[in-house]
Amino acid sequence: MTDNPQVYLASVGTELPGEAVTNADLARALGANEEWIEVFIGTRTRHFARDLTTGEVRWSLADLCARAAAEAVRASELDLADIEFVVLGTATPDTLMPATVNHVADQLGLDQVPTFQLQSGCAGAVQALSLGRTLIASGEYRSGLVVGGDVCSKHLDLQRDLTKAAPSDLVNFVLFGDGAGAAVLTDEPSGAGVAVRHVLNRFTGLGREPGQVIEWFGLADRHDDRQALTEDYKAIEEQVPVMAVEILWELLGDLDWSADELDYLLPPQLSGRMTRKIAEQLDVPGATEISCVAETGNNGNALPFLQIERLLEKMTAGQKALAVAVESSKWIKAGFALERI
Amino acid sequence: MTTPSAYTLADFVTTVRDELGLPLADEQVAADFDDLPEWDSLHLLKLVTAVEQATGHPVPVGRVLEARSLKEIYDLAVPA
Repeated sequence: MTDNPQVYLASVGTELPGEAVTNADLARALGANEEWIEVFIGTRTRHFARDLTTGEVRWSLADLCARAAAEAVRASELDLADIEFVVLGTATPDTLMPATVNHVADQLGLDQVPTFQLQSGCAGAVQALSLGRTLIASGEYRSGLVVGGDVCSKHLDLQRDLTKAAPSDLVNFVLFGDGAGAAVLTDEPSGAGVAVRHVLNRFTGLGREPGQVIEWFGLADRHDDRQALTEDYKAIEEQVPVMAVEILWELLGDLDWSADELDYLLPPQLSGRMTRKIAEQLDVPGATEISCVAETGNNGNALPFLQIERLLEKMTAGQKALAVAVESSKWIKAGFALERI
Repeated sequence: MTTPSAYTLADFVTTVRDELGLPLADEQVAADFDDLPEWDSLHLLKLVTAVEQATGHPVPVGRVLEARSLKEIYDLAVPA
């Protein structure tokens, strides 16, 4: 499938807050088994915007996104004045209002531009890419920023008594991390010169129970004893690999690409161990896997940008890459295809 | 400190019930995880920690992850 007009990715920028937090650090803090985290989760390090021992917020989501976006603009051949819109995908905005994207624009020094914020889980970065691409393809804009980021540590409270915490609660501490990423999109090849050949973003959750829920609390219900972040880990383990394979073949079909043509594969980034298993099931031996979650933790909407950053270090002219993402909250299939010009 | 030999299968079943909140019948301890609908691999996080505290010995996590029943986990955690 050929989508016209063509939209290009000129650059990426990423931001991981503070120093890497190791499994030994977390095992000590949680009273959990370090080897279990290592073997079962397979994630070695992650970064947190919040100091988990003191609870102090060191960086907001807007701070992380603005840093990533500024880096993306610097890395492109564009000036800030060329940025005509900003789209942010996140599951963890700093406040419900103003939308965090506006603080990001403010920190960047942007004004008089349209801003969009997509409330979304792991598919948010792809949704931002989809919307950014559509805006440019419409002919109304020539270049803009797409941003994704999450501050999952908002829900990780080491101050409370965790001895009675459910396993599904404890696992969040070892799965997640914080971070942000951004990309500059353009209507003509510039900078990295990567063509965005295709973007998939589709809700497939009709009648399906959510695999992941993040609550939010207001004054009237803030004392409810609800778990803020819950996952149906079993459903995720069973369904995400199946959906990932379906997405891979759907994307290849849409693009009229064969699996043999793929140089790189960017699989869903759930945890080091689950991503390894999914990559095995995707079974594209000719493609180099580009993953980051074992080092970055699952930082939601930052992940695709962190993967693209690693991809651009390797990708040469004419090479093709395919990214697969699954949002297990209400089961969204997502992915995109890139080709370096 | 509790010695490993003192930690019986019955103690282990009690740990599973108390720490994981799983309503495990005695005869279910050897059941395959596929026949234990309440079982979730996430339970291992708490179970490994609880069993290590009870026995005073590290649990071989890599092999435990391959186990197909609670009894197999017990046998790995408390070798005969």
